[in-house]
Amino acid sequence: MTAVTKLATTTTPAKPKRLANPKSPKTHLSPKTPDKTPISRRSSCRKTGQDSSRRGLKKRIYYSVVEYDGEEFVVGDDVYVKRTDDDVEPSEDEVEECRVCYADKNCVMLECEDCLGGFHLSCLNPPLRKVPKGDWICAFCKGRKMGKVVEYPKPPKGKIVKKTAKERLLASQLFAARIMSLWKEKDGTFGTNVCWYVIPEETNAGRREHNLKRELFKTNHFQDIEMESIIRHCYVMSPKEYSKANDQGDDVFYCEYEYDIHWHSFKRIDEIKSSKNDDGEDADKDKDWNLLNEYISDTEEELEFEKESIKVSSVNRQKKIGRAPNSHKGRVLGGQRIGIQKISEHIRCHKQTELERGKGAVRLASLTKSLPCREKEMTEITAFIKGSISEDQCLGRCLYIHGVPGTGKTMSVHAVMEDLKLEVNRRSMKPYSFIEINCLKLSSPENIYKVIYEALSGHRIGWKKALHILNSRFSERSNKCKNSDQPCVILIDELDVLVTRNQSVLYNILDWPTKPNSKLVIIGIANTMDLPEKLLPRISSRMGIQRLCFAPYNYQQLQEIIFCRLDGSNVFDKQAIEFASRKVAAISGDARRALEICRRAAELANYRRKTSKSDFSSDIAKDSNTGKCFVDMDDVEAAIQEMFQAPHIQVIRSCSKLSKIVLVAIVHVLCRTGMSELTFEKLAMSVSSLCSNNGEDVPAWDSILKASCKLGECKIIICNDASMHRFQKLQLNFPSDDVIFALKNCQEVPWLAKYM
Amino acid sequence: MEVTEASLLLRRRLCDPSYIHSIFKSSPDGNYSKLKFIISNSINEACNNSVLLLGPRGNGKSAVLELVLADLKVEHPGIISVVKLNGLLHGDNNNGLKEIARQLCLEFDLPFSKMASSDENSELLIDILRECGLAHKTVIFTLEEFDLFTQGKQRVLYSLLDALQFLTSQAVVIGLSCRLDADQLLEKRVRSRFSHRKLLFITPLKDDMQRLLEHLLLLPKETNLSSIYVVEFNSRLYKILDSKEFKYHLKKVIDIDNNISNLVMFLYRAVCSMDLKSGFLSLENFKKAISYFHPYPKQESLRNSSILEFYILVCMNRLDAKEQISFNFNSIMNEYKAIMDAYKTSDNYTRNVCLRAFEHLLERGLIMLTDNNVRCQSIEFRPVKSLISPQELHQALKAYNPCPVLLLKSFNNECFK
Repeated sequence: MTAVTKLATTTTPAKPKRLANPKSPKTHLSPKTPDKTPISRRSSCRKTGQDSSRRGLKKRIYYSVVEYDGEEFVVGDDVYVKRTDDDVEPSEDEVEECRVCYADKNCVMLECEDCLGGFHLSCLNPPLRKVPKGDWICAFCKGRKMGKVVEYPKPPKGKIVKKTAKERLLASQLFAARIMSLWKEKDGTFGTNVCWYVIPEETNAGRREHNLKRELFKTNHFQDIEMESIIRHCYVMSPKEYSKANDQGDDVFYCEYEYDIHWHSFKRIDEIKSSKNDDGEDADKDKDWNLLNEYISDTEEELEFEKESIKVSSVNRQKKIGRAPNSHKGRVLGGQRIGIQKISEHIRCHKQTELERGKGAVRLASLTKSLPCREKEMTEITAFIKGSISEDQCLGRCLYIHGVPGTGKTMSVHAVMEDLKLEVNRRSMKPYSFIEINCLKLSSPENIYKVIYEALSGHRIGWKKALHILNSRFSERSNKCKNSDQPCVILIDELDVLVTRNQSVLYNILDWPTKPNSKLVIIGIANTMDLPEKLLPRISSRMGIQRLCFAPYNYQQLQEIIFCRLDGSNVFDKQAIEFASRKVAAISGDARRALEICRRAAELANYRRKTSKSDFSSDIAKDSNTGKCFVDMDDVEAAIQEMFQAPHIQVIRSCSKLSKIVLVAIVHVLCRTGMSELTFEKLAMSVSSLCSNNGEDVPAWDSILKASCKLGECKIIICNDASMHRFQKLQLNFPSDDVIFALKNCQEVPWLAKYM
Repeated sequence: MEVTEASLLLRRRLCDPSYIHSIFKSSPDGNYSKLKFIISNSINEACNNSVLLLGPRGNGKSAVLELVLADLKVEHPGIISVVKLNGLLHGDNNNGLKEIARQLCLEFDLPFSKMASSDENSELLIDILRECGLAHKTVIFTLEEFDLFTQGKQRVLYSLLDALQFLTSQAVVIGLSCRLDADQLLEKRVRSRFSHRKLLFITPLKDDMQRLLEHLLLLPKETNLSSIYVVEFNSRLYKILDSKEFKYHLKKVIDIDNNISNLVMFLYRAVCSMDLKSGFLSLENFKKAISYFHPYPKQESLRNSSILEFYILVCMNRLDAKEQISFNFNSIMNEYKAIMDAYKTSDNYTRNVCLRAFEHLLERGLIMLTDNNVRCQSIEFRPVKSLISPQELHQALKAYNPCPVLLLKSFNNECFK
């Protein structure tokens, strides 16, 4: 047992040590997964001189890569771990045997999806030439599923069937774990902190129908173990990686969920977090990374700083357990309690139909790879930011972006920022800090100072103090602090909310960029085009110089956006999409609207299918055969109707007889007098005369008042307080033509038509 | 015993909105199945949705929503949490976010701090929505009186709907409103984020009405009531429901106000007046319910007025007829004196008594002061107007039994010649 260390580096204060057998009672060390990648990245390139002398003897040396028994272990790797000490170390030439011939031929084996047994292509009956595409199930499992008694071929006598590590893991004879940190003890033994995985059988819910054979759950249970108990590598993958991994050997596992061992609850592993890590790794691989230059050390310092503050707050959190989560900004204390007790079946077994996939694509929250139709604006924004950052000309830089809602203003800025972040990583640009604020989410306009200060420094203070500090910071910037020397881009969304009575907030914020050393760039987004003109001249002179207009999308652009999202699937009728986009372009040019119409149309189509008599599956087959689209013109039409049409006509048609008479009387009186409103007294007289002329019972005034108040509640008519009684003023809320149209052919009271 | 049990059963049914609306569950065009489809869609496909339920009051918006939520909770146990907000209470920005945070904390068994600022509360909302999305849990926000959330800057709606825009969680925002133009009240940027699904709740058609009546009043076969009684009860009820007279009366009720809650109120009164000795519903019960059911508050309150009060109202009416635009108690007194002087009756009261009668009328809202300035003058000098129209007064005088001839005469003189 020799250990070779590569790249010896960091020392950090020792964690509470616990060398325990995995079988020992589980200990709860930390509820939160430590942030992995930044540590490893940093430790591989430089030292952080943290004082560890006070820990004295307990000093450990931490590594990011350890070679142990000829195998290299990196932090973040997944490994098999022995359960008990007498678990045999597997022989090196561990080979899975064919289930049929039990011989070890050197040819391709196929794995059954169901029993995970391996089969030689040539041993199958009938033999296969190629590896089939998609899932494959062996003949035995098929037979068993059909209800037949199946006899597996017996191994040749005298041969000991060796179990592979995978099989032993799934039979809970081994553990799997992820290495979180590696270290060398003072006495030379190697230890590691691991995060355990569990197999479905070990969870509280047990193995369920829909669990995959190779599924593992990550737990929040961390433990320090000796390096000796690690057997070798295995590969636990996220769903995305797993679907890509085809022939990576036997030790591949699938992990989608996190399992909380205290609450026995499941939760998906955050995709956003993991995808961010991926980005970091990509950047790692960049060759430029090793050429240390000062900018990058800046960002790293900041990273460090941020991490530090997170650590501090997490320590605080542990001290004051029982503090309410809503008083802790941005962190859910009891997040683990939200987990689900059992992953219910519909989530896993739900096979997406074509229609649903199409619907998912037009969902607003689903992210798109590209943003069509806004290239020009995006290059302009990029040029603006680049120009102001790289050329050291931050003086008075302020961009005002305006446009109607749903034209991709915020999204474009975000996309530009993502691009620039990559450039910063690639060293082609200076680093800068980016702060985003949505003013409608602030409780008062003044709070913006607080938010900016918090984003810059990580501390929370009152807004008055924050304003003071920010003022001094931007106006007389000292060069002592490196961190504050970075240019800073602030994106202020919904800028118009900041307009207060004396407009001091806007003035203060827009005044900072004009200060000589501020290095501040402000991007403001709002809907109204003439916001700068509405403001005081001293503000508009600071803001209104550089503007960017996001025009409403025209129908071709909307069409392109929808097509781009659908990505070639033919769920929607082309003409239907064109219809929807033309309609939206004519009204608002709001991309959200267009997408919502498509989604609603798909939903309606789905609903129609579900309720229609014909069999659903055969319907789909028929449709795909004839090449018909799932969502056609009628659905889009219905969705548009629902979205744009006020429902008052239907309500007028369905309301009570007296209400109808009241409505007609209002129309009649208004038409005769040519006025826009009438008093209740006139209305009541008119209703009485209408009724008596046509042989109806004359309703009491109280009933008429009640009916008109009910109409007023629905805002079909506008009326003031009912206590005004006969002086109450009434007015139609919709054009009188609508009332006439609705009641023209009324079956219930045919004589109404005379008065319209 | 049996009879009380039956009447209890009927009353319990009529008070339970979810029972009343369960009749419309089965039809595919009904709002129940549409709403259920929308919500279960967002549960199954893990997407965000927002729906608006519109319709006049008393048509079962909340009841159907409750029904759908209860059924979904049974179908998907443990993954649905509901946050209920009401525009009357939580329309204001800070209150709304705080209440959302409070209910979410309660739901997930987290400690809740009352001191948290609204920024922190909205952070919590977003965090919990994200966590719920990861755990396949659905949060349903029901906003009753949706139109009241649209006052002010609409921050609550904005933060809710904006969260649904970028989070891949599964949350549904359901707004309920009786204002048909509720979605027009939204600010532009909020409206753009709203997904504009609308379900319209209107009164059921005639056939459905008939079905509803049977659904509510027929006794069920499988209870501990004796089958003979149940059969007898039902057959009598069918006879009543088919009779022309009943249809006539029902039409009278429905003509004035045809929503479901009104109908149910009517039936409830009928059931309450059920004769416990015979144990069956009769036509008389329904007739009696109708007689109760036409509340004419003005007429009632006029009927109980004293003669002096009538004199005052008549005087006001005469002044009205003389097209005096503005008058106060003093000018009314002058008119009263004029009548008294002309006819010499026993109904001549002193000024103080008249003032009390006048105040009494004010309290009952039959007349009203036209100026809002309370401090400046005593009541006698403030302008006043009558809220009773001549027609109503005429009816009331006719109905008033020992009505002095003089009163009628002086009234008729002016108006109905």
